Amino acid sequence: MVPHWPRRCSLLLLSLLYPLLTSAHSFENTAVVRTIDLGGSLVQVTTTYAVKALENGATVYTLALAEREHKRTSWLEAKIKGQQEILPMESAGFDADSGVYLYSVELPQALSTDGTTHLVVEAIETHATYPWPEEAGQKDDQALKYESDLFVVSPYKTSVERIKLKSPSPNIISYSTPDGLDEFTMDVPVTKSGVTITYGPFHNIPVTTDAAFLKLKQKKIAVHYGYDHPILEVTELKRSAEISHWGANLNIEDKIHLHNAGPKLKGHFSRLEHQASSFFGRLPPHVMPSVSLHLPPDIRSPYYYDLIGNVSTSRLRVGHLPTEQFSLLELRPRYPLLGGWNYSFTLGWDSPLSNYAGYDKNTGKYVIGVPLMTLVPGAAVDDAEIQIILPEGATYVVSRRAMTDSQHPSHSDVDFFPPFPPIQSYVKTHITYLDTVGRPVVVLEYKDLTTRHAGTIYVTYKVPLSAHLKKPLAVATAFMGLFVLGFAVKRMDVRIQKK
Amino acid sequence: MPLAYSLPTDLSPATVVNASSLLRIVALALISGAAIASRLFAVVNFESVIHEFDPWFNYRATRVLASKGFYEFWNWFDPTAWYPLGRVVGGTIYPGLMATSGVIYNVLHALNLPVDIRNICVLLAPGFSALTAWSTYMFTKEMKDESAGLLAAAFIGIVPGYISRSVAGSYDNEAIAIFLLMFTFFLWIKALKTGSAFFGTLAALFYFYMVAAWGGYAFITNMIPLHAFALILMGRFSSRLYVAYSSWYAIGTLASMQVPFVGFQPVRTSEHMAALGVFGLLQIIAFAELVRTHVSSKQFQSLLYASVIGMGILGALAIVGLTYKGWIAPWTGRFYSLWDTGYAKKYIPIIASVSEHQPTAWPSFFMDLQLLIFLFPAGVILCFRELRDEHVFVIIYAVVASYFAGVMVRLMLTLTPCVCVCAAVAFSSVLDTYIDPVEPDAVEEAETAGDGAVSASSTGISTSSGSTTTSTKKGKKAAPAAQAGPLDGLVSTVSAVVSTKKGDKAQGIFGGDTRLAVILNALGMLLFFVLHCTYVTSSAYSSPSVVLASTNPDGSQHIIDDFREAYYWLRQNTPETAVVMSWWDYGYQIAGMADRPTLVDNNTWNNTHIATVGKAMSSSEEVAYPILRKHDVDYVLVIFGGLLGYSGDDINKFLWMVRIAQGVWPDEIQEPNYFTAKGEYKVDDAASTTMKNSLMYKMSYYRFAELFGGNQAVDRVRGQQMPRIGPTLDYLDEAFTSENWIVRIYQVKKDDLLGRDLRTANAFEQGKKRKRSKPMARRRAIV
Repeated sequence: MVPHWPRRCSLLLLSLLYPLLTSAHSFENTAVVRTIDLGGSLVQVTTTYAVKALENGATVYTLALAEREHKRTSWLEAKIKGQQEILPMESAGFDADSGVYLYSVELPQALSTDGTTHLVVEAIETHATYPWPEEAGQKDDQALKYESDLFVVSPYKTSVERIKLKSPSPNIISYSTPDGLDEFTMDVPVTKSGVTITYGPFHNIPVTTDAAFLKLKQKKIAVHYGYDHPILEVTELKRSAEISHWGANLNIEDKIHLHNAGPKLKGHFSRLEHQASSFFGRLPPHVMPSVSLHLPPDIRSPYYYDLIGNVSTSRLRVGHLPTEQFSLLELRPRYPLLGGWNYSFTLGWDSPLSNYAGYDKNTGKYVIGVPLMTLVPGAAVDDAEIQIILPEGATYVVSRRAMTDSQHPSHSDVDFFPPFPPIQSYVKTHITYLDTVGRPVVVLEYKDLTTRHAGTIYVTYKVPLSAHLKKPLAVATAFMGLFVLGFAVKRMDVRIQKK
Repeated sequence: MPLAYSLPTDLSPATVVNASSLLRIVALALISGAAIASRLFAVVNFESVIHEFDPWFNYRATRVLASKGFYEFWNWFDPTAWYPLGRVVGGTIYPGLMATSGVIYNVLHALNLPVDIRNICVLLAPGFSALTAWSTYMFTKEMKDESAGLLAAAFIGIVPGYISRSVAGSYDNEAIAIFLLMFTFFLWIKALKTGSAFFGTLAALFYFYMVAAWGGYAFITNMIPLHAFALILMGRFSSRLYVAYSSWYAIGTLASMQVPFVGFQPVRTSEHMAALGVFGLLQIIAFAELVRTHVSSKQFQSLLYASVIGMGILGALAIVGLTYKGWIAPWTGRFYSLWDTGYAKKYIPIIASVSEHQPTAWPSFFMDLQLLIFLFPAGVILCFRELRDEHVFVIIYAVVASYFAGVMVRLMLTLTPCVCVCAAVAFSSVLDTYIDPVEPDAVEEAETAGDGAVSASSTGISTSSGSTTTSTKKGKKAAPAAQAGPLDGLVSTVSAVVSTKKGDKAQGIFGGDTRLAVILNALGMLLFFVLHCTYVTSSAYSSPSVVLASTNPDGSQHIIDDFREAYYWLRQNTPETAVVMSWWDYGYQIAGMADRPTLVDNNTWNNTHIATVGKAMSSSEEVAYPILRKHDVDYVLVIFGGLLGYSGDDINKFLWMVRIAQGVWPDEIQEPNYFTAKGEYKVDDAASTTMKNSLMYKMSYYRFAELFGGNQAVDRVRGQQMPRIGPTLDYLDEAFTSENWIVRIYQVKKDDLLGRDLRTANAFEQGKKRKRSKPMARRRAIV
């Protein structure tokens, strides 16, 4: 599933457009090279298309993802080779016959007939690998299996195609050798050199989005390889960022549910063996005793606790701007995380607001950039909910974008710019210490986040002076009331019997 | 009149009154601050965490109350405790503590102060200690005056005897109960002094709060009647006593019966009969007094008194009769153990197995009370000098609480407030005497002193030392001398300290140097008291016991967090319905931190169930396995301190498990079997076979020797060398062991799929050949 485009985009409309887009056959792939960087819970797939236009003025190139590929892919990005600019991409519908999802990429300039360009498409797949064997003893090694389709699915003809799989370790246990490929190649279809397995080159591949082709000619490949790091998954991430102008403080709190997705522990955990193997520095790859996280620089009063209290086993080295760009936290769960084990915790810190927020004097608006998530190295985030709690009384006078699913229209003035569209977003009210009317909260929900998603959410808002003064006034009034009450009670004689 | 030092004369009385009132408020605020702050060592040194065992249950119950509301809480049936029996929590607890936290939680949230319920629970005890200081101030004010009150408040604020049960995080019933105890007593004294039904009712309401909060309410239930009874015997019956007692008893008893856990106990159990009896006696006496006002004949009067005594005896007999008939429950075992300290060990080992139920050691009196323990008797004797009604109360309280504190460590807590009050009275008497600037004149002044005494005794105790004029001060000083009366002999020893000599010579202190010497000495004592309290609080009473601390070589603190590590592992990585068996000490912690069903917990209501666990722990694997399977046990948890030297582990508690199991299964479990032939309790090579085969031993030392990598394994708690070959387990699997091996969790194996005995199956897995015994012989015979 690719959360690159808003879900509300009408599939119906696009399916009407679909024949127009694909029937054109305006391109031909002169060469396709797909490189699959195998990993733990994230697999990076880079496909380079050498594109040749077959007609004049062809600007819209169509990418295709097979059903399983589409389900795994959580990040998709197209660029022209050698350029930084990301090309605009749109979903172009779903072909129910072949089960192929289409995306249209707009090229920066129209190609004339026989004009060529190189298109680089990067995709990140989550949960594409699975541990095999599914269970491993405490001392055993860890191996993963990756399964995929052989041919790159494309609505255009392809002259030459190569598929390379790069294993993270030289320990490749097995890989499949598909047969019946004589149609496309005369050589051995697969070669292995070092950590790379190469399928192809295959020649003269027809349009592969065709249902018949997918059914008859498409092959399945699988690689079984050793993996030397624990496979981490964040099954749930809840981040809340609270802005305080009075304290010049941005508090960020992450509630993280960590899961070791490696092979399930066979038998039981033996502390003796664990201590022995960590003493000799030979910790099995699926055991995670600690994980290093990069937190923002200049942070103060960090805290790390779980459901039953503070966890005292971590080390934090705070980095200071401008020389150091991050603080390093060596996060150590209460117990080493073995295959299949879970650990949930809360991690939070304060940082100076000036590192994140700016004030625009012309418009009188504050702009704040909140990092979307803390990267857990190599981990995929299944469900994420990011809350940005603005100061009490924050508003923004002119609405730039009407929020259709806002439940509280009074806050719909607040504007936000996430790095990529969320699955769901709304604004709600949150009441915390000594608030009178509550604070607007921007809530963004995401699914399947990867390392590439670690962007910044920008929110703009206005805080009038009266809103700043609301809290001290409210507290002062309450205390005044108490004193007046005490004053009155002290001076009132409520005795029935006068002495 | 000579003065030792000059006083300012240009102050108006109103200024003095206002200034002293302000000073008192400031002093009380500072005392409250000190009381709260000294209890925060646990939070500063460790963290805001719930301590020990019982507080974890209270915390869990409070969370239910805060999240689901009062009615849910009231009807809460907890199926995870006492698996498979479950526990009706709402009806088997004193809900006062949870209700208090719940109210605070809701009030704070209504004010938009979203304080975490855990922090409310952690900080409840320090908060209430400030209230305790205030109520002790009020109470002592009734005994002597404000200055004594302030001293008492300061004492109770920081005295270790009270801090031991009220540091931040020890979220137990005692946290609020001591405040309620003192405040109920204050209201009772106030009601008695004024004869006010209003204060009597207030006393009843706070008595109700106390009943709802702590099982120790029986102390009030018996103290107030005892006081009333003593007053009657002293011939001090008055309408004030009648009004105060009747309003307190009638409303208090009815209110206390609203607590489900108490129910009909106030009219059905022996512990409450004293209150009922005194109530009846008071009615009879009041009736007799009423009759006496209408009848003049002296003979009739004596007849009446005879009948009063007769009716009293009849009432007592009726109570005894009802007890025999079974209408009134006899004294409970816990009560007997208060009179015979050996009783519990013989008949109720569960009660005896709790360390806080042991008799108090002498040094702990000094540790908990320091200089107060010396001042305490002096204060009690000073109470005899005036012997007003409220002084009788303090004297009775002192005697009773001293006894109980000697019987049970835990009851030191009830003695502490009384000690603080008495010590404050004594200490402030010393200060009053030596700060007073008036110097005695020549001999002829004695006469005027007598006049002053009359005026002082007629007005009662003067209100404030700061506000009194010199003449009333003098009167006050002289008052004790005039009032000594019948207790002269007893008092003279003490008053020798206060006054120079009795008789013709004038009383008082001459010169500034003597004053300075005594006052400086007294202040020095107070200073050392503060130092002692701070030291004891920080070193002895501020450990959460859930988290242990040690010191790194570089002096920094190292936290040993094995308990939470293991509990959190259980919580995150086992099915939610997995039943955990452990000794009952850890039941509440497992329920609170691991959130898993337990077999037994610290609410030790079912002795048989506990004995079952004890039997499983102390029998061999073959015997224990069916017990475990029958109780659906998935995991067994043991605490083992042998690696780290943590002495509170299960092997050290093991004999109690054996004893409790023996109480139910005397044929199967015998304590002597767990000792060596010489009668020693050993775990090394010399340990008895029964010991070595017991499940507890095996679980504790499973693979322990291997940790030492071929070196001699040593159990650091018991200082014994372990056998090189450790025990093996056939029916259990090691599931988790914490970092320092303190908590070890074992999974109970399921039945073998082939229907084999698990021991045989295990032997087969390890490739051992079956013993060549009879089957081989048979085969050979065939060949």
